[in-house]
Amino acid sequence: MRKQRLTLWLLLAMMVIATNSVFYFKILSGPSHEVRNVTVILRSSNVRLDFWQAVNMGAEAAAKEMGFTLNVVGPLSESDSDTQIQLLEEAITRMPQAIVIAPIMNERMRSALSKADEAGIKLVIINMSPDKLPTHVVVSSDHIEGGRLAAQTSIEQTAGYPVIAMISDNANSIVSEERLQGMQRELGGYKNSMMGVYYADNSEDRAYQIAEKLIRSKTMFNTFITLSESASQGVARALKEYDRVDDIHLIGFDSSSDEVQLLEAGIMKASIVQKPFNMGYLGVKTALNLIEGDRTDPITYIDSNVITKDNMFTTENQKLLFPFINSK
Amino acid sequence: MLKRRFPIHLFPLKSIQSNISLAFSLLILAAIVLTSLVSFQVSVTTVEKNSKGYIEEIIKQVNLNIQSYVDNMENISLLALTNKDVKYYISDNSFISAEDRRTYEKQISDLFQSILYTRKDIASIMVFGYNGRFVSDRRITSLNPNTDLQEQEWYQMARAAGGKSVVTAPHVQSLIKNEYRWVVSLSRELKSTDGITAEGVFLVDLNLNVINDICSNINLGKKGYVFIVDKNGNIVYHPRQQLIDSHLKTEQITDVLQASSGDSFIVDNEEGKRIYSIQDTNFGWRIVGVANTDDLITSKDDLRNSIILYSLYGLVIPVLISIWLSHRLLMPIKELQSDMKQVEKGNFNIQTEIRQMNEIGQLGRSFNLMVSRTKFLMEETIQNQENKRKSELLLLQSQINPHFLYNTLDSIVWMAEQKQHEEVVLMTSALAKLFRASITKDQELVPIQVEIEHITNYLLIQKMRYNDELNYVIDIDDDIHSYKTLKILLQPLVENAIYHGIRNMYGMDDGVITIRGRQSGDQVVFEVEDNGHGMTPEQQGRLLLNNDGDSRTQGIGIRNVNERIKLYFGHEYGIQIKSEIEEGTCITITIPKLD
Repeated sequence: MRKQRLTLWLLLAMMVIATNSVFYFKILSGPSHEVRNVTVILRSSNVRLDFWQAVNMGAEAAAKEMGFTLNVVGPLSESDSDTQIQLLEEAITRMPQAIVIAPIMNERMRSALSKADEAGIKLVIINMSPDKLPTHVVVSSDHIEGGRLAAQTSIEQTAGYPVIAMISDNANSIVSEERLQGMQRELGGYKNSMMGVYYADNSEDRAYQIAEKLIRSKTMFNTFITLSESASQGVARALKEYDRVDDIHLIGFDSSSDEVQLLEAGIMKASIVQKPFNMGYLGVKTALNLIEGDRTDPITYIDSNVITKDNMFTTENQKLLFPFINSK
Repeated sequence: MLKRRFPIHLFPLKSIQSNISLAFSLLILAAIVLTSLVSFQVSVTTVEKNSKGYIEEIIKQVNLNIQSYVDNMENISLLALTNKDVKYYISDNSFISAEDRRTYEKQISDLFQSILYTRKDIASIMVFGYNGRFVSDRRITSLNPNTDLQEQEWYQMARAAGGKSVVTAPHVQSLIKNEYRWVVSLSRELKSTDGITAEGVFLVDLNLNVINDICSNINLGKKGYVFIVDKNGNIVYHPRQQLIDSHLKTEQITDVLQASSGDSFIVDNEEGKRIYSIQDTNFGWRIVGVANTDDLITSKDDLRNSIILYSLYGLVIPVLISIWLSHRLLMPIKELQSDMKQVEKGNFNIQTEIRQMNEIGQLGRSFNLMVSRTKFLMEETIQNQENKRKSELLLLQSQINPHFLYNTLDSIVWMAEQKQHEEVVLMTSALAKLFRASITKDQELVPIQVEIEHITNYLLIQKMRYNDELNYVIDIDDDIHSYKTLKILLQPLVENAIYHGIRNMYGMDDGVITIRGRQSGDQVVFEVEDNGHGMTPEQQGRLLLNNDGDSRTQGIGIRNVNERIKLYFGHEYGIQIKSEIEEGTCITITIPKLD
């Protein structure tokens, strides 16, 4: 009696193991790795906007390196906050492990972001001053450093006697404020180096008028620093018209194709160029670190390069100025 | 001593079955772990080796593709080199007039254009004469005024190479106004017809798309990629060039430069284990394929998991089997053990079952022999004891109670003095019969008839001794007279009834002793009843207790009667006493019905 009972139990155990083995093996041989799921929400997904396309490329490079695929979305226009909030809300319902977002900031966006937080989605904010969203992990260009670089370049180009007229877009722009801060920090030791800050409201004509007025006023100054592309264009036009290209240095920011031509022609003496590719790459990498639970810096700064006519075709800077092999 | 010498036991568990199972399991575990590890290692190495070969093949293919593009461009350059129009156009002679120049330009431009039509991958074809003339594939070409021809890398390289074709790294071509294209340039210095004088530089721009597509469409796993370095270690193409430029990434350039073409090596750092496979092109580029081993061996985790899984089954199933086997093997020993426990408890009627005549079977046989021998010896001992007791009791039986004899003889003397001859004769003959019955040793069992005669004689003597004051009734069924009983069974009981029951009563003639006998089923039941003093429960108990001191005076006591019955007929037979103070005593004897 006893021996038969044990035999029966053993047989039963073996059968259980055999059935389990079939199922377990199916489970194990299936996609056993956890699928990483990251959504990137750009400020714009417009293919014409090189900056955001480069961010996209960097994000894709990080995804490729880690061996997973991204979901990249963004509104067509850089200022379409409503669409971006809608895209964020859609992303939240899909419950990705992390969202990397370059937010167009307003109150509604703030509450949408806290919704993502509540859902337990890891958030990485890119291209946004860390002061704006202090509770989040931020990956952004260091605009203070950018401003400092611009001032430094002007000091070098004017042999230590810079007198700068700065043309910003508007007083509310945080990026411009930070750049101004950086410049002021660098120019601290140079007396009367900052002649004035002017606001052109993103209008090329307005910038042109300001530049024209300043050139005509016979004030002694030797450097224009323009904080936006439109301002660069306007000032460049004025400098060309009044033939002051050689004695008034124009230092700008970023690298649109028009600005590249200004650089090439020597009208713009230098441009401080951000690294959007690196921003996309580090944004996604930071998101992955958050998912993995690794230590992450709350703020990751991305440096900028000073590009002049002489160095614009070096291997590194070519990639910054012309990020796309298919472009132009 | 032994314990001290072996403080750790080889088999620490209590039962042999557990020890055998444990030993088997450990052996199986060791074997399986070893084979699993070895097979995992072997599989991984094999897969790695295969992947290496696979990557090498892919990189060779990439190399061939890129080579063929460059070769194509070179062929195109040869076309220009041998074209008379081109030669004429850039040659430093003045016989071409301004009008002729237009025609030449048109012809050359048409030629270049027709080449360009067939080749989508070529961005532009241009010729620059040292005489300042230039032609491109377009009718109207406006050169970028900000670009200095002399400073262009391809131009300088071509001049330095002196007639050999050179290939630049990918760069942005800014020759044409408002056009910035990523290209790879092949350039070559053109010689005059004499083959000595250099007269210009020929340029073919290949769209970088082509190389980009070739390199980025290579499937080297999810994380794998292809990069190109020139012979000085400068990166020609790298999918993460910007990260390397920003020092966010590093590449194994030195290792790549040290390796020779067709080689591959493995790098294992914080980014994972990667295979680098290198191929040289004949124009100075090194094409390097990088594949993550974890990625290529996508099944590495699966491989490990399934090996772990299978070894788990390979472990569990044999362990279960080993438990079962050890159980089967040790079952006879366990049975033997439980049989031994039975013997320990005193059950000697056990014979263990013998399945096979192996060591355990032999052990069982020895055990069976031992048990039966012990049983035989024990039975023998019991028999001996019983026999001894029987003979002891027989001896007691034959002894005469001296008081009884003395008193009886006293009574006879007294009666003889009174000249009561008849009574003397009667009493003497009764006494003689009594003693004959006691002394006769030949038969232990007598018919009840004989026992009745015996008790009658005894009561006769006692009645005469007590001057007829003793009253008794003998009421025994006639149909049991022929059954057998032990002799002198009733006398001790009657004696007890007289001495302890009615003798000391106030008026002895009120006392009556009743002796009854009848059958009940297959038993014969005697009762000796008196209406005397009765007994307390303690006295009753003492009556049956084994107290040797009393037996001297009491002769064959009630206890002995009880003992004799049990010895002869078994424990279910014997004496029962029922008594109440001042009411009387009734002693019941039960024996089997024997013919």
